[in-house]
Amino acid sequence: MLFLAPMLVVLSVVAVFPVVYSFWISLFDLRLTRPRSVPFVWFDNYAQVFADPLFWTSVARTATFTVMAVAAIMVIATLMALLLNEEFRGRRILSAVLLVPWAIPYVADGLMWKWIYDSGYGALNGLLYQLDFIDKYMVWLGDTRKTLALIANAFVWKEVPLATILLLVTMKSIPADLYGAAKVDGANVWQRFVHVTLPALRPGFMLVMIYETMMAVRHFDLFFILTEGGPANASHVLAWDVYVETFRKLSFGTGAALAYLIALITFLLAFSIIRTMGKKL
Amino acid sequence: MTPRAARIGRNLLLLAASLLFLGYVLAPVAWLVSSSFQSESEITSKPPHWIPHQPTLKNFEAIFGAGERDVTYETRRKADPSSGGFIPSTAKNLLPAMWNSFIVAISVVVLNLLVSVPAAYAMAKIRFIGRQTSIYAMLVTRVIPDIALVVPFFLFIRKLGLLDHVGSLIITYLAITIPFSVFILVGYFESLPDELDKAARVDGCSRLQALLRVFLPLALPSLVAMILFAFLTSWNEFLLALMFTQTPASQTMPIVVASFTSDFTISFSFINAAGVLAVVPPVILAIVFERYIVSGLTAGAVKG
Amino acid sequence: MARIRFEGVGKRYPNGFVALEGLDLDIRDREFLVLLGPSGCGKSTTLNMIAGLEEVSEGSLYFDDELMNPVPPHRRDVAMVFQSYALYPHKSVYENIAFGLRMRNHPRAEIDRRVREAARKLEIEPLLERRPNQLSGGQRQRVALGRAMVRQPAVFLMDEPLSNLDAALRISMRAEIKQLHQTMATTFVYVTHDQAEALTLADRIVVMKDGVVQQTGTPDEIYEQPRNSFVASFLGNPPINYLDGTLEGDGAGVSFRRGGLRLALPSRAAQRVAGQAGREVTLGVRAEDVDEHGSPREGETVHGRVTSVLPVGSDQFLGVEVEGRPLFFRVGKEMQHRDGDNVALVVNVNRLHLFDRKDGRSLVW
Repeated sequence: MLFLAPMLVVLSVVAVFPVVYSFWISLFDLRLTRPRSVPFVWFDNYAQVFADPLFWTSVARTATFTVMAVAAIMVIATLMALLLNEEFRGRRILSAVLLVPWAIPYVADGLMWKWIYDSGYGALNGLLYQLDFIDKYMVWLGDTRKTLALIANAFVWKEVPLATILLLVTMKSIPADLYGAAKVDGANVWQRFVHVTLPALRPGFMLVMIYETMMAVRHFDLFFILTEGGPANASHVLAWDVYVETFRKLSFGTGAALAYLIALITFLLAFSIIRTMGKKL
Repeated sequence: MTPRAARIGRNLLLLAASLLFLGYVLAPVAWLVSSSFQSESEITSKPPHWIPHQPTLKNFEAIFGAGERDVTYETRRKADPSSGGFIPSTAKNLLPAMWNSFIVAISVVVLNLLVSVPAAYAMAKIRFIGRQTSIYAMLVTRVIPDIALVVPFFLFIRKLGLLDHVGSLIITYLAITIPFSVFILVGYFESLPDELDKAARVDGCSRLQALLRVFLPLALPSLVAMILFAFLTSWNEFLLALMFTQTPASQTMPIVVASFTSDFTISFSFINAAGVLAVVPPVILAIVFERYIVSGLTAGAVKG
Repeated sequence: MARIRFEGVGKRYPNGFVALEGLDLDIRDREFLVLLGPSGCGKSTTLNMIAGLEEVSEGSLYFDDELMNPVPPHRRDVAMVFQSYALYPHKSVYENIAFGLRMRNHPRAEIDRRVREAARKLEIEPLLERRPNQLSGGQRQRVALGRAMVRQPAVFLMDEPLSNLDAALRISMRAEIKQLHQTMATTFVYVTHDQAEALTLADRIVVMKDGVVQQTGTPDEIYEQPRNSFVASFLGNPPINYLDGTLEGDGAGVSFRRGGLRLALPSRAAQRVAGQAGREVTLGVRAEDVDEHGSPREGETVHGRVTSVLPVGSDQFLGVEVEGRPLFFRVGKEMQHRDGDNVALVVNVNRLHLFDRKDGRSLVW
């Protein structure tokens, strides 16, 4: 019994302490450029964040990015899970291959897509050109109207495997009897999908939605590697804002406040997803 | 429709879907690999060569040989672009960075095991006051985004004097991975009947022996999954490494690779080769241990 | 070899739940003691305390004269058989049985000898190299027994060991367990909620409810002389019939009255409740305590209408509505009854039970 005590202490120090400390810092005007004076400012950092117009555009961009990404993940993952739920030769290979995007680092994901999107020699241009969709190479990431969607694509590609696996488990838990009953009732393939599969998948959808929303709202790596918030702030999302505040402006107080707001937004989103989707369960 | 026609139709449909699936998942990686075997002159051809016409290992040689070459602003300008010569001055950092990544990942795995296994056993099998709270608290910490933890971690690490030291990453990655590990293991331990624990203790095991001789062997699949998650998280992590490391002494692979991508003058063939090296270890682990990973992921999810 | 004594033992959980209260119990050396009760009555808690798996939160627990409260399970000389068998899934049958001996550092040859001897006795020798998931329920049960046997413990604990077996196997295993107790000559404590198991196996039964002992005694005492209505209803199949009514004093003694039904009380009961006419009581009639052949006599007969007939092989269960209450009796097969028949059944009044309507205390014993 006693050998457990130190473990629990380590656990709480390592896992719980930073969460509380982070909130505490957000109440101070802590700037690394001015290390001697660190006044306690109550909620001034939060007020300052709210007063910044860039914050509100970041919120809007984060929302756009999240909606695009989560919607795409849900659709693609559902289709992939439906495929993997079938019995056929080669299914094992597909499910092994599926883990490749999941396993690789976001940095590699980022450089891979950056290279694909490259305006000079990228594969996307090359492919579209060869297929005659475009007659000359185009600018992709540099085009402010396309930036968020392209980053979302790189994000979706790496997140889809996990979502697929989660949906697949939910599908596998649907009792075969249910399909049998539906067949006896005269339901065709499509009706069985609509009336049996989709409703039974709801818990899986909810789980994936919550998880991927959380991941999208807080995502940072691709924004750093693909665009650094640019061009012209087109990909200046909340997570990037935290980075800029904290490590470019070295204003730790506002950075912490921003970060805490992201946490809060994440909570609220998860909560509202549970409320709206959970009710129908 | 005859059954035969229906079967053929189904097979064709499955084949088409499988090809789409493979294309979506693998094509980007395949292109990355393919371009890493192309010279700079080949890689810049329009339209691109999907399969290298003259495959070359020069890019990889450049990485493995980067240590001996003295790359300065001048010398790299003079290099021959057609042979993949646009080597960044930081090229020689890649191998040490991969070594750092490896050290960090292994340390995190080992320490993670030492902490999470007993903690998870306690939470699953021992009724103590605050048990529910501690499980709940751990869940909450994983909902807080890493980015919200950057500042407190930074100040904490600075106080410890560990900035620009791999130790900073080991500590923070433990904070990230331990809750998940404990979570998976608690779920697994709870699924094992209490009577097994009792049987072991009546058979003469102390608590520690019951854990080591009965529970751990049974939890092996979960342990494998846990080890893989801890390893991959540490190997892949970017944000915290970006904040806490400044010099090659502590920089990890993702940081060095990211530094390549932000340098416009670097040859794409070289970056792609670096990308391939970054991708190989996790992909091998993922494919070899696919079964464990999938069961670990789903166990974690079902509980959550 | 051990005598086990509970002195004022209680178990209170941190959340305030009281699993066991003021338990005083003296388990004799080599006794076969059965703890009987519904789930949540504290019987498993009691067993786990003997094993050391649950801490004693009040009172003292002794093995012979040694205070056991602080002794952890691995330092107690006890072996246990669990309801789920709790075999180690990753070990072979051999290793499952040997594990307890290995943990106690017995010499290798000794372990091998004991494991094989137990396997031979239990007729599981061909299974020794298998894994538990390759065994049937009955085989697992035997392995679990073997694991406890080889330890040759001072105290042998069994927690509902038969409840996961099918009916036929359960009956035959009862006989084997009884046999085992005789050959091992050690103290057995056995937990069950199955009254039939308790009645067949026990030297003494402890009936428990809500953490409190209701009655302790030999199977005969418990069955024939239940101290309260809970004990009476927990034993017997079909369960004892209850009829609410009042006491009625007349010249000869005291009798029970409900509507048109009047039953004379056995003399022992009549003495206890003499002069309490009008008291509200509950009458208990065991299903088998009626007879159709006797000549109906005043004060010893119930009249009723048959509502169901359930043949159970050797005899039949008769559902009879008496004074607006459905009662169940066990009668011989030779009587042909159909739903709706009116019957007159002679009651063995000497075996009637009588309880206080409010607290369920027996007014006979």
